[in-house]
Amino acid sequence: MTPRPGWLARNWASLAAIAAMAGVWEILSLIYTAEAAPGEPMVPGWEIVFGRTLLSLADYWGGGLGVPSVAEGAPPSYTAAVLAIISNSFDTIVRLYAGLAVGAVAGTVLGLAVSWSPWPRRVVDSPLQFLRTLPLLAMVPLFQLWFGTEFIGKVAFVAYGIGVIFFAGVANAVRNVPQIFIDNARTFGASRATLYRTVILPAILPELRATMLLALGTGWGAVLGAEYLGAQSGLGYMIVYSEQFAYLDRMFFVALLFVLYASVSYAIFDRLSRRWLDWTAKSGRAVAG
Amino acid sequence: MGDVKIEASALSRSYRRADGAEVKALSAVDLRIEAGQFVCLVGPSGCGKTTLLQIIAGLVPPTGGSMVVNGQRVTGPGPSRGMVFQKDSVFPWMRVAANVEYGLSCRGVPKAERQAAAAHYLERVGLSHVAGAWPRELSGGMLKRVAVATVFANGADVLLLDEPFGALDYVTKRQLHDVLLTLWAEGEAGRRRTVMFVTHDVDEAMILADRIVVMRAGQIVDDLPVAADRPRTTDALLLPEMVRIKHILLTHLGLEAAR
Repeated sequence: MTPRPGWLARNWASLAAIAAMAGVWEILSLIYTAEAAPGEPMVPGWEIVFGRTLLSLADYWGGGLGVPSVAEGAPPSYTAAVLAIISNSFDTIVRLYAGLAVGAVAGTVLGLAVSWSPWPRRVVDSPLQFLRTLPLLAMVPLFQLWFGTEFIGKVAFVAYGIGVIFFAGVANAVRNVPQIFIDNARTFGASRATLYRTVILPAILPELRATMLLALGTGWGAVLGAEYLGAQSGLGYMIVYSEQFAYLDRMFFVALLFVLYASVSYAIFDRLSRRWLDWTAKSGRAVAG
Repeated sequence: MGDVKIEASALSRSYRRADGAEVKALSAVDLRIEAGQFVCLVGPSGCGKTTLLQIIAGLVPPTGGSMVVNGQRVTGPGPSRGMVFQKDSVFPWMRVAANVEYGLSCRGVPKAERQAAAAHYLERVGLSHVAGAWPRELSGGMLKRVAVATVFANGADVLLLDEPFGALDYVTKRQLHDVLLTLWAEGEAGRRRTVMFVTHDVDEAMILADRIVVMRAGQIVDDLPVAADRPRTTDALLLPEMVRIKHILLTHLGLEAAR
């Protein structure tokens, strides 16, 4: 076996692609100088984004920790801006992961239940297949009326969006478990519960990984959607507030934060799932070459 | 004559094909197998061999007649009957040793006892060195060894093998015959296990069996005792009696004209 190449050697091409994208953005900002409102460029360059824009995010700091808010009359400061980013990101991430946890568990349990015996299938399957077809974002106002605009409302919405994905993913993955593994376990006298614990759950894990990646993407979309309407904090709230004043640069900045958080959450999940799926064949090869 | 271990009476199994036609996989099969016998089930593809094995295993219910193992009617799978499948059945998400322990852990056998049994049978099949490996790291022949070790470790006294070595190369197959026969001859607590071995390979049946049951179109059409001494060397397979049995089997399979 040849030694594994270093991180830079493996990732230089990806890094170069990201740098090129940043470069193209900068060039665009120089060529296309139109403004959404006076002083608000449609394509804000990097010097604006990490200068004026970052500083302006101090608007979203509500005060506390000895750092006064802009609303209290204090001049915008980078400290307040960074605190604003941290506190709003924290709110969004907590909502996302609380919803993700509830939705993933509920969806997995229901997905396993429909394969357990005919009755859950008859009761649960059709209604959930029906719910699946509803466009998720169209349900935001409904969830707000049902569950309110507080924490519970947003978590319920994210959990709903993710639960439906997990239900479909788990139910489908269970159907794909090769019969031979089930027969094998049965001939060894495995009870139904043992069969689920030792065969069905591990056998569906590789497919659940894909489901989880899909759910993470949907989860970020859902939590934003929930925050667009009626939230008083969070990244979605920052975007809506910026949109009202045509602060394009701030919206862009928040979008960058999203890219960062989503990448980090994918990377963390990828690392964790690799450990669980150590038993599956690893292949980093492309189809050809 | 030993005790009757497996007894099928008027056993039938039919199913409806997708086009609506009724297919009889087994029709009125009567079969008695004594404890400790090594029986090979030979017949052309689709003759009902696998169905018979699945009924003994309890994976498929009969549509008529009865199947009795150890004096009890079979109503479902159970640890008294172990099965080695045609395709790879080793769980890819468990390491080799955990696979061999699987049956024992299903029955709540204490960990130390399980590990000892797994280590013993992995050693017997020559796989001690890969106890901690993932199944994906093993060759096809090694996976079959794991499957054989697993059914033996589980202590089932009836072993059902459904063309287990069909996909293996000649050398690997012959090595596995030796492994299987050695483990079978050793027995457990002085008692040999009863083996039902499905194959369409006439030579394989002649090397392994005490008795060869021939099936065709869902029925038993012949039942031949094989008395040659063990181990069956190349010379033993050329004894007149063995050659006679081989001719009969080949005739049943339609490969030779009756004479």
